[in-house]
Amino acid sequence: MPKATWMRATVLLLLIGAIIGVGFSFAVYETSEKTADANFCGSCHTMKPFVSAFEIHVHGGDNRFGFQAECNDCHLPHDGLAHYFFVKVKSSTNDIWVETFDNTDKIDWRKKIKDGNRFVYDSGCLSCHADLENKTLSNPRAFLPHRLYFSKTTTKTCADCHANAGHKHLSEFIKE
Amino acid sequence: MRKAAGLVSVFFLVILGSVSLHMAMAADSNPAAVEKPAGAPAQPAPSSHYLRYPNIAFKQKMTLAKGTGITKQAAQCIACHSQKTPEIVNDWSKSVMAHAGVSCFDCHTVSKDSPMANQKCPGVAGTDIYVSSLVSSATCEKCHPNEVKAFRQSGHARAAIQAVSQPLNQALLAHEDMNMPEFKDAVFMTGCAQCHGSQIKMDADQMPEAGSWPVHGIGTIYPDATVGNCTACHLNHQFSIAQARKPSACGTCHLGPDHPDIEIYKQSVHGMLFEARGAKWHWNSPPGGWQPMADYSAPTCATCHMSGINGLQPTHNVDLRLKWNLWAPVSNQRTGGFDTAAETFMKTGKLTAGNPLAGNPQGPEAARKDMLQVCAACHSTEFGQNYLGMADKQIGLFNKYAHAASEMIATLQKKNLMMKDPWADPAFRTYYYMWHHEGRRMRQGAAMEGPDYSHWHGVFELQQSLRILQAIYNQRIKTGKIDYNQTGGVGVGE
Repeated sequence: MPKATWMRATVLLLLIGAIIGVGFSFAVYETSEKTADANFCGSCHTMKPFVSAFEIHVHGGDNRFGFQAECNDCHLPHDGLAHYFFVKVKSSTNDIWVETFDNTDKIDWRKKIKDGNRFVYDSGCLSCHADLENKTLSNPRAFLPHRLYFSKTTTKTCADCHANAGHKHLSEFIKE
Repeated sequence: MRKAAGLVSVFFLVILGSVSLHMAMAADSNPAAVEKPAGAPAQPAPSSHYLRYPNIAFKQKMTLAKGTGITKQAAQCIACHSQKTPEIVNDWSKSVMAHAGVSCFDCHTVSKDSPMANQKCPGVAGTDIYVSSLVSSATCEKCHPNEVKAFRQSGHARAAIQAVSQPLNQALLAHEDMNMPEFKDAVFMTGCAQCHGSQIKMDADQMPEAGSWPVHGIGTIYPDATVGNCTACHLNHQFSIAQARKPSACGTCHLGPDHPDIEIYKQSVHGMLFEARGAKWHWNSPPGGWQPMADYSAPTCATCHMSGINGLQPTHNVDLRLKWNLWAPVSNQRTGGFDTAAETFMKTGKLTAGNPLAGNPQGPEAARKDMLQVCAACHSTEFGQNYLGMADKQIGLFNKYAHAASEMIATLQKKNLMMKDPWADPAFRTYYYMWHHEGRRMRQGAAMEGPDYSHWHGVFELQQSLRILQAIYNQRIKTGKIDYNQTGGVGVGE
């Protein structure tokens, strides 16, 4: 009966593998969800002003529905799972390292927020504002300013024009 | 009998028609209700979430959907300002901006952390809304990114940076205001800045400083560290494309003894046709769709230097079709690519000299090819080639004069035979007039078909000036001294 043993072992291994795999995926998913929002990001002292400015913005819940975006919705790329996790791991490694071993007071946030499009991904914006591309002249305020963007005749990114989207009066909060 | 019945029915139809028209107009002239009351007479669609305004956008009334058109906050601006500043609102209401639903709120609100932000307007005081009377090109850029980008790559974007930073300009200003503090900024703000632009500073009260604003200049530097004033050509608050296409938009700055471009245009056959027929041309065609013969029968400044014509794309970079620099002491070909002053300032905050040889990034020959393509929209290929070929020769001739003069000045400087105050020195003055006035008239007149400027105001005076400079030079070299009784250079022959 070596054949049956071999079969049984294979099936058993596959089952165990599947359970481990599902468990691992579940853990990854849960972790990435739990580490995606302002509650988590704001648990580091450095991020407090950003969370405060976020909470008074439309994206942070100051809207009719109380809907709140998560940090990762804008600050991670949404053009594929691999890219998403790559940037997530990369930037979180950087953040943990700098927060723990470096002096975060040295960071010139005022200079950085002028360069906002480095930290905001258009694919993130568009995964929620997915309908923007389909707008027509019947909604001129959505159609007219964005037609160059969608016809790819400009290299501007979302954050180039919507510099304050996400964090209202941000530089007021990072005053020393 | 039949005829009578027909007449009666026509009569009834007319009565019915006029009654319904009258009723429609009565409904239209409803008072300026901001929000339509619920249960108002049956008009199609509008429920309480539609807003109605009088006098918006061409028609007596336009219905805009809330959220997609004009928001409630924006409506409040319009409602109050049509009382406080009726001319501005009226002007805006005729604009394409109004037609597209872009109102006060969209351009004049800024974030709280903007250096231009204030809450002086009682309508926003104490709210979360911050406004600014200044609107920089960063705002225009949000909807017109390519136009602003091309503009910032052009020499126009250097205008204010150059005016406020070049030491020679500052030295001249100090002479002109007699170094008297009570007249500080008067020369600059009533002169230079109105074409070149200023660097706008904010006072402690968060309002633009009197020494730096109001200003109409094209290269104005705004407190938010952006460069460019779109309303220099597209005057607020109509921002009209038609107005910017007319020669007067350029002629408001390109005129006078040192660059009589509007005068040259008026003398040219192009300008003559514009004067004769321009009133009937179509000025409102869309960008790239403004075409010779269909819309106009002779070019304006904008046609040749900016418009989409004969296969060329429209551009806001006015240097793109220029082969030569026609304003410097010596004319060189424009080999420098894009201008850098605006970009450098916006990135680093440094005021630099920019790129006087800014032109077409593919080089001066590509620029000339583009310009010939413009000519070829109306003329034969040979016509354009021969005309601009002869202009090239005239520019080359100017360079001979320029070299002869600058060599004399250099020799005198080396031998210490120039006066300390250049503006008192007939040698320097003559040289200055040669390139800055007479030489520019000669070169620009040649390139844009202003024969009187190419010749009588140009090369004729230039050769006279060269003789005057030569005489001064000969005397100084011969005696080794400066003769303080010599004259020369103040508008010889003007």
